[in-house]
Amino acid sequence: MSDPSDPVIGVASDSSRSPRPRTGPLAGVRVADFCWMGVGAVATRLLADFGADVIKIENRKRLDMPRRLPIYKGETRSYGAEDPDPDPNKGGLFNNYSRNKLGITVDMSDPRGRELVLDLIEHCGIVTENFAPGVMERWNLTYPELREIRDDMIFARMSGYGHSGPQAHYRSYGPVVQAVSGLSFNSGLPGREPSGWGLSYMDNQAAYYNSAGLLLAIYQRMLTGQGTEVDVSAIEAGIGLLGSDLLDTVVNDRPSRRPDYPRGNRLEHPTAAPHGVYPAAGTDQWIAIAVFSEADWKALQTVMGDPAWASDARFATADQRIVHQDELDAAMSGWTRDQDKHRLMGALQDAGIAAGAVQNSQDLAEHDPQIAARGTFFELDHPVIGPALFEGFPGQLGASKPDHWRSAPLLGEDNQFVFGEILGRDAETLAELSAEGVI
Amino acid sequence: MVAAQVLQGTSPVRDLVVVELAQSPAGEQTGKFVADLGADVVKIEPPGGVASRHVGPWAHGQRDPDHSLEFWAYNSSKTSRALDAASPDDRSQFGALLATADILIVEDRRWLRELGTDLDELLEQRPDLIVVAVTPFGLTGPWQDYRTSDLVALAAGGILNSCGYDDHSIPPIRPGGNQGFQLGASFSWCALLLALIERRRTGLGQLVDMSVHESNAVSGELANPYWFYPKALVQRQTCRHAQPEPTQPALFECGDGNYVYFALILAEQKAWSSLLGWMSELEMAADLTDASFQDIAYRQQEFSHVQEVIEVFFLVQDADTVYHEGQRRGLPIGRLNAFEDLPLDVHLQEREFFVDLPTPDGETVTYPGLPYRFSSFETVPGRPPRLGEGHHG
Repeated sequence: MSDPSDPVIGVASDSSRSPRPRTGPLAGVRVADFCWMGVGAVATRLLADFGADVIKIENRKRLDMPRRLPIYKGETRSYGAEDPDPDPNKGGLFNNYSRNKLGITVDMSDPRGRELVLDLIEHCGIVTENFAPGVMERWNLTYPELREIRDDMIFARMSGYGHSGPQAHYRSYGPVVQAVSGLSFNSGLPGREPSGWGLSYMDNQAAYYNSAGLLLAIYQRMLTGQGTEVDVSAIEAGIGLLGSDLLDTVVNDRPSRRPDYPRGNRLEHPTAAPHGVYPAAGTDQWIAIAVFSEADWKALQTVMGDPAWASDARFATADQRIVHQDELDAAMSGWTRDQDKHRLMGALQDAGIAAGAVQNSQDLAEHDPQIAARGTFFELDHPVIGPALFEGFPGQLGASKPDHWRSAPLLGEDNQFVFGEILGRDAETLAELSAEGVI
Repeated sequence: MVAAQVLQGTSPVRDLVVVELAQSPAGEQTGKFVADLGADVVKIEPPGGVASRHVGPWAHGQRDPDHSLEFWAYNSSKTSRALDAASPDDRSQFGALLATADILIVEDRRWLRELGTDLDELLEQRPDLIVVAVTPFGLTGPWQDYRTSDLVALAAGGILNSCGYDDHSIPPIRPGGNQGFQLGASFSWCALLLALIERRRTGLGQLVDMSVHESNAVSGELANPYWFYPKALVQRQTCRHAQPEPTQPALFECGDGNYVYFALILAEQKAWSSLLGWMSELEMAADLTDASFQDIAYRQQEFSHVQEVIEVFFLVQDADTVYHEGQRRGLPIGRLNAFEDLPLDVHLQEREFFVDLPTPDGETVTYPGLPYRFSSFETVPGRPPRLGEGHHG
């Protein structure tokens, strides 16, 4: 286990990890990044990928949750099963969230630590945070105060409820945001409890919206020299994702608490049948099939080998298939049940039918030929963890290439570079600050 | 006015002209992002309107292309131009419009070709143009011609594998609201902004080749790290995180039939004390006040009993009370709001999140506001256009 009190453990001789000038559309952009947990770290990750110097500000006394979560190579534990004495440099989730970032440690409660951070903020001109509301206020780092440091300051904030209103102080994380915004109610079989989400979807979506907000702010400053505060409430972002089901309720006064809602895997609009998730060969293996048009249905019958049941009058038209969906789904399941999900997906897609194997993460990483051909996942080495896969940007830009220069920083790995080379503190000062636990 | 309204300041995208060839939520939401901030987004449609105009639900039951709520959801603040690809005159109008554009959003390059423009030639002729191609799987690779839908995108991209019920005889269940497409839109919006920044620096545009499939594949939160590191596969559970191993339920039914989400971490002493204090005040803590439950290991060993006592505690209260009283005590509890609850939420009201969106019929409807707020400028969405409606009707 590495010693968190030594900021340069194990890497002093590894020059491949030394910070270097970055490439990409955001090269030269610098961010003083207070973000932590998932939603904040994912938001600034995109900036780091595309060339920004994102300087992650950490506190040794309060380790970032992804540093503490035991998602380790060779050990399986569920989220929440905390390691009582975690190696802060071993966590896979932290590596995943903070690749391409620089990492410093500083104690903001010490005046000398605070002075360093204020220097850094002035140097960067962009500040990001997703603390509980009130933390930045206690540090006197609100937007008006930040603008006194630099008039063109960009300040991006992420929170569950936003920074105003009677519930701004409510505690939230992904599942709570999904519950309150309506996204959990929106998901499940009619007549039973909601199935909701099996992930913190809104940690990702709120993060992506914050990335976009930051990019827009950077673009605006390039055009006009003007800074801005950006505020994203994850709950509001979630409501914006409800789509036409929300409008059906608020425009048409059609309650969403009704016996036939939500609809499970079936569609009300547009009419589509069969439209569902059907069993495939193996344990808990499934395939999604979506038939929208008569041409789709004809093509499906051909792929199935024109079984007698499919030409039954109950399934002759889309309207009839909707009426008889239970029988249709049962018949479909009988056909899919013993087939390999990947091969069946290929056969259906080759016939022009929208179909997708329900892929797990192993399928994505080891089987999916599209992910492989597009290079969606990429590998970086890490001094403690070793080589690991990362989720890249889900598209290809002709000119603006991501710059994957390094896996996540070890705790305090870039203290020397940031405090010494960028902020100009001498070695003696840094040694003293380190010895006294300020950095 | 169909355009977004600028209430304050100057929007950085105000002077941009965007041409949109899209009819799924992935491309349409990408256009909406930039339109709602004040860009001039011209939506190209076939004479009968794009596919989304023909999908319900319908405003007040009016089944026509101007009253599709599916269309309204993703097409605020745009103008519409109906062009017939079979007409030489319309094709030349399209060419003229495209010549003025800064950005082209396109879901299907075949449609572009039918309108008389080849994508590769266009990129050669217009080095300053930003083309955001938002396609199901990307423009290259073995699956480039595969079809998708929201369900298929969530399935193939790995999200669906995490969603459903504890009972695995039930298939994975699709989370509602076109979230597979929305993930594609979020990344396309980020890519569009990266390309604008690049163009500001170099003067050059580029082709941005976005994949809905990949957008889903990188958004599974813990699922991929669990595979990348311990080589564990997560298993879906009812309304809580899919995990390598089963965890205790987090969905509680309340006395009014509504639900709350609450994941009690038994190892957190503060949360335990807070919950216990609350239960004791209502004289419902049962034997949890016994000294033995102060021990974390004992609580964990007895978790199914703890769970039962909490179930009863929530079942005798209504969900609204549990939500607000729990939060008052510092517990991260969320009520599972239904859509009709949202406009009544006092917090959202005070923040003026919902806006009054004008409709093509001259009335106004309740509509979600923007997902971010900027101090330097403020816009509100303009109404979705009627088929063929420009800035001046």
